[in-house]
Amino acid sequence: MRAETDYVMRVVEEREVRFVRLWFVDVVGSLKSLSVPVSELEPALVEGVGLDGSAIEARTRGRERDVYAWPDPGSFQILPWTKPRVARMCCDLRTPAGEPFAGDSRQALRGVLDQAADLGLTLQVGCEIEFFLFANDGDGNGPPAPLDNGSYFDLTVQDVVSDFDRRAIEHLEQMGIPVTASHHEVAPSQHEIHLKHTDPLSMADAITTFRIVVKEVARDLGLFATFMPKPLDGLSGSGMHLHLSLYEGEENLFFDTEGDSPGGRGRPFLAGLLAHAAETAAVSNQWVNSYKRIAAAIEAPTHVNWSRNGANALVRLPSGRPGQQDSARLELRSPDAAANPYLLFALVLGAGLRGIERGYELGAEAGAEGSGEAALPGDLGEATALFDASELARETLGDRLCDWFAANKRAEWDAYRATVTDFDRDRYLRWL
Amino acid sequence: MADAWIYSAEPARGARMAAQVAELGFSPRLVEANGDLRPSESDGVAGRPPDLAVVIGDEALCERLRDDVAFADVPIVLSILPEDLGERVPVGEELLIPPFTAAELEARIVRARHQLGGGEEARCVEAGGMRVDLVTYQVTVGGEPVDFAFKEYELLRFLVTHPGRVFSREALLNRVWGYDYYGGARTVDVHVRRLRAKLGSEHAGRIRTVRGVGYRFDL
Repeated sequence: MRAETDYVMRVVEEREVRFVRLWFVDVVGSLKSLSVPVSELEPALVEGVGLDGSAIEARTRGRERDVYAWPDPGSFQILPWTKPRVARMCCDLRTPAGEPFAGDSRQALRGVLDQAADLGLTLQVGCEIEFFLFANDGDGNGPPAPLDNGSYFDLTVQDVVSDFDRRAIEHLEQMGIPVTASHHEVAPSQHEIHLKHTDPLSMADAITTFRIVVKEVARDLGLFATFMPKPLDGLSGSGMHLHLSLYEGEENLFFDTEGDSPGGRGRPFLAGLLAHAAETAAVSNQWVNSYKRIAAAIEAPTHVNWSRNGANALVRLPSGRPGQQDSARLELRSPDAAANPYLLFALVLGAGLRGIERGYELGAEAGAEGSGEAALPGDLGEATALFDASELARETLGDRLCDWFAANKRAEWDAYRATVTDFDRDRYLRWL
Repeated sequence: MADAWIYSAEPARGARMAAQVAELGFSPRLVEANGDLRPSESDGVAGRPPDLAVVIGDEALCERLRDDVAFADVPIVLSILPEDLGERVPVGEELLIPPFTAAELEARIVRARHQLGGGEEARCVEAGGMRVDLVTYQVTVGGEPVDFAFKEYELLRFLVTHPGRVFSREALLNRVWGYDYYGGARTVDVHVRRLRAKLGSEHAGRIRTVRGVGYRFDL
């Protein structure tokens, strides 16, 4: 038995863990979980656990396929809010023959990470994740109640919010996810938590974990949390800004050694990120609702551009501390926290690597002459069409994932187009 | 210093193993596999059995060592290439299958020692109110259990068992991860941060950042 497996079995015994949840995500990044009693854990670690692969296609489920979930023993963590204790392990998905399963988002990300490693490059990702906390009252219809409506228990909003922060941070830290939190000023019930930078695979696992921790803690406090990109009219939506640093050995390639070359040696990576932003938007902003955050343009980018200062640019190059290599980074501002983080990171890295491999030139900074800014897709239909035709996406994620994802998103878009919304009724019912 | 005798028919593999056990603090000595199981030169070391025997690829030799009363208290680790694992997996010895990490080698040695019932020696490190049980993998702070992921635990274990020494991030990466991980040497920083967060403010400072060099654990 390998040392990692050994460790898991011993901790399970010592800490009296009763069940282990095997986590994986479907094609849109929704968390799926299989619960395994500890008596079945050892075989699960050695042989994997069979499941119906069509569950990974999300809402466009097709033929059944045999897939095995292989727990990654390195990801074993006790879920701090459980009693009796329950642990989780993130899984890779494999075919019955033990090959990587082509529909597995986590494997897709691993593939791109391997490519980067072959080039001697490592990416570090930090995240700023926004979400809303609402009072869990009403019948679930109609707009949600913000926390500052003064009717919430007899606690003040500040009490609830600081209680939430304290518990969420404690749980996340216990799960090996270092964070800093800040209450957001822009919208009343909006919250922002920063996840400190780490490698993309750990970060994608962390985001998946983060979403469930935030929802659990909110539920415990009688609230609910949502990562819906744009829940309220007229107020800012919830984004997930990514802070990217690219290293070659010890050297941060985005560090501008000359002081007059933004992006440093990493400029072609940035150029790649921009060049492929439109065709990867279906992944960074994967819901019909995602485009309402972008359309409102409140602190959300609408065009493909980069800037050192501009608040609304797609990519911002924060002015790092002078002489401090590690603080040099790019901030990608389009994604929202309801994305599939595995596919998102795979495409971000894939686009950047392509920029490097093919020597893309970086265009002029936003606002400068000749910056030639293309618009990001305006809705999910447009984004899906661009994604479906994207050679980069097919090469990075493989046909299986691309086909599933595109089919899923087309179905969502078609359903939306066929729906009569409140907007239609409010505007047209009496008028026309 | 603890002696490790390494039995190998292939000098290159023997030398590699010697370097690896030396990293763990053993004084390695290559031994001819065809002799009487003791080093040829008699310079005092040969007078007593070693603290560890590593046999490379030769299961029959393990049996000879087992049968030799002089080696009764010597933990034995058998290193065997995956392609040499035939129908019958050797069951008597602690197995090491290359490639392996330094952490795994260390774990195999601890386990080999345990198989001899020799695990009674202190297998626990304490520092203030913090306690790391190296056998059960359990860490407590002020009596309260703290849970770690495997690599976090491995890093903590390595640091607490080598207190007062400064290790570079690359050295820690090699020791605990054994290969270049997706995050490169920054993975070590990330894990140190996680360890500090979990150990709490009272003990976080025991893992000291030595600027420009690496990390050190203070008891």
